[in-house]
Amino acid sequence: MLFLLAALFVGVSVSAQQLPDVKIENQDGKVVSSKSIVDGTPMIISFWSTTCKPCIMELNAINDNLYDWLDEVEFKVVAVSVDDARTVSRARAMTKGQGWDDYVCLFDKNQDFKRAMNVSLTPHTFIVDGKGNIVYSHSGYTPGSEQELFEKIKALK
Amino acid sequence: MKKFLLVLVAVASVFAIEEASAQIKVGEGQISIALESNNSYYTPDKTLENVGLIKAYDRVRGDFGSNDYLKVDYSLGRFSAGIQLDGYLPGLYGYDFYTYQQRDSKLTAFLSKYVQWEDTNWGVRLGDIYDQFGNGLIFRSYEDRALAFNNSLACARAYYNFNNMVNVKVLAGLPRLYDVRSKNVIWGADLSLSISEMAGWYDGLASVEASYVGRHMGKNDAIFAIETPFVLNMVSGRANFEYAGVSFRGEYAAKLNEDLHNPMLPAAKGNVVSIDLGYNYKRFSASATFRRQENMLTNIELRPSGIGGGNVMNYLPLLTRQHTYSLANLNPYRGSIVHTGGEIGGQIDLYYSLRNPKARGKYWNFHANFSMFNTIDHRAKIMDMEMDREGRNVWIDFNFDVERQWNKQVKTTFLYSFQRWDEEINHFDAPTAHYCRSHIFVGDVTYKINKKHSLRFEAQYLASNDYEGDWVAATIEYNLAPKFSFYVSDMWNCEKMQDGQYGNYYLNLDTYEYEHHLLHYYQVGASFTHNSLRAQLSYGRNRAGYVCSGGVCRFQPAYTGVNLTLTLSF
Repeated sequence: MLFLLAALFVGVSVSAQQLPDVKIENQDGKVVSSKSIVDGTPMIISFWSTTCKPCIMELNAINDNLYDWLDEVEFKVVAVSVDDARTVSRARAMTKGQGWDDYVCLFDKNQDFKRAMNVSLTPHTFIVDGKGNIVYSHSGYTPGSEQELFEKIKALK
Repeated sequence: MKKFLLVLVAVASVFAIEEASAQIKVGEGQISIALESNNSYYTPDKTLENVGLIKAYDRVRGDFGSNDYLKVDYSLGRFSAGIQLDGYLPGLYGYDFYTYQQRDSKLTAFLSKYVQWEDTNWGVRLGDIYDQFGNGLIFRSYEDRALAFNNSLACARAYYNFNNMVNVKVLAGLPRLYDVRSKNVIWGADLSLSISEMAGWYDGLASVEASYVGRHMGKNDAIFAIETPFVLNMVSGRANFEYAGVSFRGEYAAKLNEDLHNPMLPAAKGNVVSIDLGYNYKRFSASATFRRQENMLTNIELRPSGIGGGNVMNYLPLLTRQHTYSLANLNPYRGSIVHTGGEIGGQIDLYYSLRNPKARGKYWNFHANFSMFNTIDHRAKIMDMEMDREGRNVWIDFNFDVERQWNKQVKTTFLYSFQRWDEEINHFDAPTAHYCRSHIFVGDVTYKINKKHSLRFEAQYLASNDYEGDWVAATIEYNLAPKFSFYVSDMWNCEKMQDGQYGNYYLNLDTYEYEHHLLHYYQVGASFTHNSLRAQLSYGRNRAGYVCSGGVCRFQPAYTGVNLTLTLSF
């Protein structure tokens, strides 16, 4: 299998991956394209769920620093809940109850976006530039690793 | 052990590859790859083996287990295609993956694949499909690796969307049943009408939806055609409404034909009502769910081996809160429908965030949750039996947690959980309830030493009148952001016995004498993250219990051993 993987690298060029185009529910419960979040502003996309504690810690840590960071660089945060039909209403309630008012919240009930972005374990965070190119991704959260996301966002300027 | 070392070498090579590449482009299109590998090396544990907590049949496939997933996708504009290879080499203990095994082999693999075209208003997909209608009460095909669950439908799906007002979807295919394709055909159609779009009302959302799902018997199930119709028909109707912070989602679904779920019981029809209410105002939000179901669990195949958590074509998850702390999760609610066929209950969540707009780094988050479930003795009704299980309460829990960010350095969480369950409900002949009660207290402190270093300490206590009694658990975690994390944890059964000692008595299977043990379930582990690569290595003793994911639980036998989990995507 590893040889197979290695073989894939022969004769292929390396460049940035584009954000996939799948259907996802937005904050108002409407189905939109995942591409619709691309609007020229760089963004942090974070996949979370109501049962993933480190995910919530990471989103809260970004939220704590948000205004300080926005003073330095323009970007937005997209929180993608991968909760299914069972917990999606809990996820909707949590986005309000945790004070994530400045986030763009998306609800990936059927996990189409999660699959398309190749997310195995949450939290999984991506940095996407204003044109929709995925420039960086990070899986897992340790307190303080949000700083790295900020550095990557700043480097996009 | 040799295999385990091989895996370590593989990890190192994958890491080397990952270092060398970022993303892959082939011509105009692009390829993305994701790998997940979960490995365990089981070590002997004389203490647990002697008292029967680790059983010989828990180890029939040897000392090593590995559940692996490799997913490769190609996309070019609106076109995409992909494969996923699942390998169980052999499967980890605790996954009922071998229920439908056709061959006498320890190693199992399954390949799924798809091609897809996604246009502005329409889309077509051939191959493995993951989809659901409404809440999934009559149909849901999905993957959950924590349960090794995958019932993807192999065939075709098409949808058309007319100006966001009307959305029509049809699909048909053969569902996956563990590592085989079922011979039964499932097909369905879903229609949704957006009333708000039609009326040009953009302040809120109003829609109605309807679905049909049919299951046609294939040759494996042909013998059941005497008792049940050849085609099982199920329908669902839904209404959704959202305006100014208030939301309502209601669904009614019914099984129109008599269907067998448990071959020991007569065939019957079924129905389910599910209602979701939501409300939010500023930093306060509430959500409530109510559900009443009777004989709605629907198998992919009926044949007598028709057991196992993977033989399900619809989604009726448990609605109780899924805890993240080990003691709060020691005895999760697992449903009561096995012997009753029906359940009625619901849950309520309340969230409030108290924030000072001037000091963003300081806040309080409050959360309260309550749930309650009673039985509906559908089985007794159809069999005309007196079982005294009607309207019996099987589960109540109340949870309260508060999270406080004191300043940039210190954050604390406190959780209290009360849980009460009927220990007897899943025994076939259980005329009276026997209630167990647990009170769980959790304290969790994170201290950020500086931008890179942080410590987390967690202490838990469970006071219970169930057969094991009280438990204590503690964890210490040290984080070196953004790459490393280390932890040590222990959980032990500290019930004070009549002779004043702590622990419990266990029957030694060699000597047939009861012996006293204070059992510690210890863990030590580390994780490493670099970009999208994540590796977690741990060693410890794991208690037998239920692992729940997405409201579905599987039994995990006790084991002691080394775990290595690796995820990578690029």
